[in-house]
Amino acid sequence: MVQKKICMLGAFAVGKTSLVERFVNRVFSEKYLTTIGVKIDKKTLSVDGKEVSLLVWDIYGEDEFQKLRASYLRGSSGYILVADGTRRLTLETAMALSKTAEEHLGKVPFVLVVNKADLSAEWEIDENVLAGLSARGWLITRGSAKTGQGVEEIFLTLAERILELDR
Amino acid sequence: MQPNRLLMSENMLPDLLSALDIVILERLEEEDSFRIVATPPQWIGQFFPEGTVPETRVQPASIFPFLQHFLFDADHSWSRKDPRPLRSGPWTEHDSTGTPLHFEATAVTTHGHRLLMIEKLGEEYLEWHAILQQARERSLQHGRELVGHRQFQAKLGGMLDESEKTRDDLLSILNQLRVPIFMTDAQGCVSFVSQQCQQLLGRPQEQVLGTSWEQVCHFRKEEKALLQQMILATPDDRERIPLHLQVPGGKSHWIEIDVKDDPRDPERKMFFIHDMTEIYDLRRSLKEKAKFHDLTGKSKAMEMVYTRVSQVALVDTTVLIGGETGTGKELIAKAIHFSSSRKNNPFVAVNCAGLTDSLLGSQLFGHKRGAFTGATEDHRGFFETANEGTIFLDEIGDMPLTVQASLLRVLQEKEILRLGESKPRKVNVRVIAATNKDLNEEVARGNFRADLLYRIRVARIDLPPLRERREDIPLLLESFLSQTRATGGKQVQEVSAEAMQRLVRYPWPGNVRELKSAVEFSVIHCPGAVIQVTDLPPEILDPTGAYLPDISFISDQKERVLIALERAQGNRVAAARLLGISRATLYRRLASLGIPTES
Repeated sequence: MVQKKICMLGAFAVGKTSLVERFVNRVFSEKYLTTIGVKIDKKTLSVDGKEVSLLVWDIYGEDEFQKLRASYLRGSSGYILVADGTRRLTLETAMALSKTAEEHLGKVPFVLVVNKADLSAEWEIDENVLAGLSARGWLITRGSAKTGQGVEEIFLTLAERILELDR
Repeated sequence: MQPNRLLMSENMLPDLLSALDIVILERLEEEDSFRIVATPPQWIGQFFPEGTVPETRVQPASIFPFLQHFLFDADHSWSRKDPRPLRSGPWTEHDSTGTPLHFEATAVTTHGHRLLMIEKLGEEYLEWHAILQQARERSLQHGRELVGHRQFQAKLGGMLDESEKTRDDLLSILNQLRVPIFMTDAQGCVSFVSQQCQQLLGRPQEQVLGTSWEQVCHFRKEEKALLQQMILATPDDRERIPLHLQVPGGKSHWIEIDVKDDPRDPERKMFFIHDMTEIYDLRRSLKEKAKFHDLTGKSKAMEMVYTRVSQVALVDTTVLIGGETGTGKELIAKAIHFSSSRKNNPFVAVNCAGLTDSLLGSQLFGHKRGAFTGATEDHRGFFETANEGTIFLDEIGDMPLTVQASLLRVLQEKEILRLGESKPRKVNVRVIAATNKDLNEEVARGNFRADLLYRIRVARIDLPPLRERREDIPLLLESFLSQTRATGGKQVQEVSAEAMQRLVRYPWPGNVRELKSAVEFSVIHCPGAVIQVTDLPPEILDPTGAYLPDISFISDQKERVLIALERAQGNRVAAARLLGISRATLYRRLASLGIPTES
């Protein structure tokens, strides 16, 4: 079975851990628990009939207290950028992290998840900005760890892209 | 003495590692292999099959995937000449029960041994976590508050935009309304002034805003006090007040001001200015047109009278004024006098009726002491008093014939002869006579000298009876009411519509004099500010005509017939009886006068 490391990157409290929890354990907690360092989880997926074990590195959220250690990215086949739809600045953090990741990993597959789709009425992120990123080739999905909307698809899509590169 | 060195016993290291929750692994020469140094803490057993920790070789990267890439960095660190401890940073793994456990690895080199220490993080980590958790929650809360503030700010901005739009709309409406408006704050300073108001005041808003209204609006002292009184009054007690506004450039406006409270703050006032200048000018011009000296009326008949008065005032001839009693003949005489070149000299009015010839002769021409019994001293007559001026001889038709002869001599010779004197005295007097009689008839009856008649009626003015100029009645009423108010009597302002109708329809046999008397009667009986029908004199109220005088005196046939019909309430038989003619004659007369024969 193929094993692939992927990283969850994003500002703090955007829902990285919640997305992983929803993906791995199918649970969601309203309580926010910050992550220190790295949390590692595993999940096996079937992509085009092929089993693939995803080693998910849930890396702490970037802010003034914790900056991303580039060594955590080493060996990652792809990454998921997470932004909080209700906080405009988290998209800017995601864009900056994407740049850092590309510097260390080169052009590997990634997906931008705009989380908290269940709070779309409170969204601050401008759709035009997202449309601009799409135009640059970014794969963008709107998801919700709370409702589970789009979560499986995010990981599956990234896994597909990673495996496509192996062929 | 030997230094007190701590010697580690065989069990001491495992106890220490257990107490610190640290596992120490030593890098073996074989790649990827480590051996566990001393007895490790028990928790490490959870990560091995069946909880058995191998004594020989272990591969930590297979236990902890996190270490897979850290060992790459650690190898670099160990191979350095001056290796320094390299920390992995914390990571979290779940044990076999799913409980999260937190670790941190450190690569160190000591005495040529390459060691990897894996520490299970405990309370310090949890404290650190709690601090970071709190800091981030605060940061999130702050962010939410910022969003809330931004949303509130946006909402306020929207409301402000909406409010400004409404304000602009209202301003446009105000400016379109063409009503000059200004507002003052609690200190009486102008806080808003409409474009119309700026134009009226003759000042741009820069000169007006923030300035006291008293400096902006130039009124007379008493007017300013009146406006101040209105500002301080309660809304119910306020009324629109007329003022005379002086503006730069010497111009002025007749205005009326309504003072209102700002509904949101009664301390702030709104001033609605109504520019009445045009109306005032029109009213003044109408009044000027409606009044000629003390004469009131704008009917065609009166306009003809005014024209005739103006004409005869230019010449110095005698004038005969005809007209029913009470039509204002003396006023005409005065108007002629005061319009003539004699206006600065005496005007003497004499009533010729009811006096004996000697008494009237004495009064007119004077007498010498002893001329008759009781003439104790010399007396100057009215003609001498009126020298260089005008004498008005009212009711000249009643003048005794002997006096008529004397008067004729005065007119012919321009001199008078006092009773008892033989030497005439020169006088320069203009004679204006008046009568309500038909002097031609009086001449025919031998009561009036024809030569005198020809002499006095060089110029003639006939005054129309009031019933022939009913349109002047409202003007006359207004004039009499204002006279009443001016003399400090009751403040009666106007006449009700119904009362006015009665007054206009009444035939007024006593003419203007009777109207004036009726107004005085009504004012006395009027309890309020408006004269009602019930306040009118009984002769005007009584529909039976019991108080009305005989209609036979009415010279105009159509007028007489119409009054008879009115008094008879349209009953032709009764009207014929009032007129003293047969019903058939009445019908013929109605047809000839163009009056409908049916009621």
